[in-house]
Amino acid sequence: MGCQHLEELYELWLLGALSEKGSLDLREHLRRGCAQCLGRLREAAETVYVLGLTPKPARPHPRVKAELLRSISRKPVLNR
Amino acid sequence: MNTEVPAENLLARIARQDVDALSELYDRYAPRIYGLMLRIFSSREAAELVLREVFTRLWSESARLSQGGGSVVAWLVVTARDRAVEQLRAQRAIPPGVESPKSDDDHTERTGAVARKSKGLVVSAAVKAIAGKPEARKPGAAKAGPAVLMDQLPFTWLPQPKEISFLDERLVLLHKVIAQLPKSQREALELAVFGGLSESEIAVETGEPLGKVQRSLRAAITFVKHRRRAVCGTWAANI
Repeated sequence: MGCQHLEELYELWLLGALSEKGSLDLREHLRRGCAQCLGRLREAAETVYVLGLTPKPARPHPRVKAELLRSISRKPVLNR
Repeated sequence: MNTEVPAENLLARIARQDVDALSELYDRYAPRIYGLMLRIFSSREAAELVLREVFTRLWSESARLSQGGGSVVAWLVVTARDRAVEQLRAQRAIPPGVESPKSDDDHTERTGAVARKSKGLVVSAAVKAIAGKPEARKPGAAKAGPAVLMDQLPFTWLPQPKEISFLDERLVLLHKVIAQLPKSQREALELAVFGGLSESEIAVETGEPLGKVQRSLRAAITFVKHRRRAVCGTWAANI
């Protein structure tokens, strides 16, 4: 079965907003490695990126970075 | 001339356990991610937690991510948002009557809640009740979205760095475009993007029929998608 009917669903699926029924077909196509679906998903990720960056950037407290750097010094990079 | 080290070069260094590279990447992108987190969470503490978590995950997965060739910042934004709304959904799945760990007296919590209410993002008891149903509390129910599957895809879903830098140069314009959406469409979109609500939860939240919500959301997404294509494809787009 083609995937033309999924055209308007990728962004909603990526946002987790799609009903279970609507997302079944899409998941199946992606699991099968459908190249067209992957291409559309990539494009949907661009839209989600644009939407996700509508809030103004905010500078986190320096403590957060200090905690991050302290914690990763104990964590290895996974080689997969 | 832009002399900034490409983020993907920093990622390659991070994959070799270069802490300075992670530090530089954090300085560059943490404000964007934190801004998004503050829009999703009413608590600064929760926002900081996910911010730290997503950069920790970047560190751990840098080798795999680096091989994929996708955009690091796109991964950060999509992953951070996904993780944050996953947490919101998990909170909503707490049965009614069980107190959230945060106190109502917390000033940041209250001011954040007020700010979010003005944007229509305070989730009603009805949506919490739906999420609190037994089937919604099954293990993994909070991850019913794409998170699990996305983890299995070898980052082939990520936009390429050049596509993202092209978008970055046009973000202000694109955000003006989003602001042009009709109010009902924009609100539905915000509930999905920042509230982590599904179509049916948005219908409950807004009191609108599900079909109308679905049409609103799809129209909003189509509008943004087409305008993004127009902005990125040609400057002659009449927006």
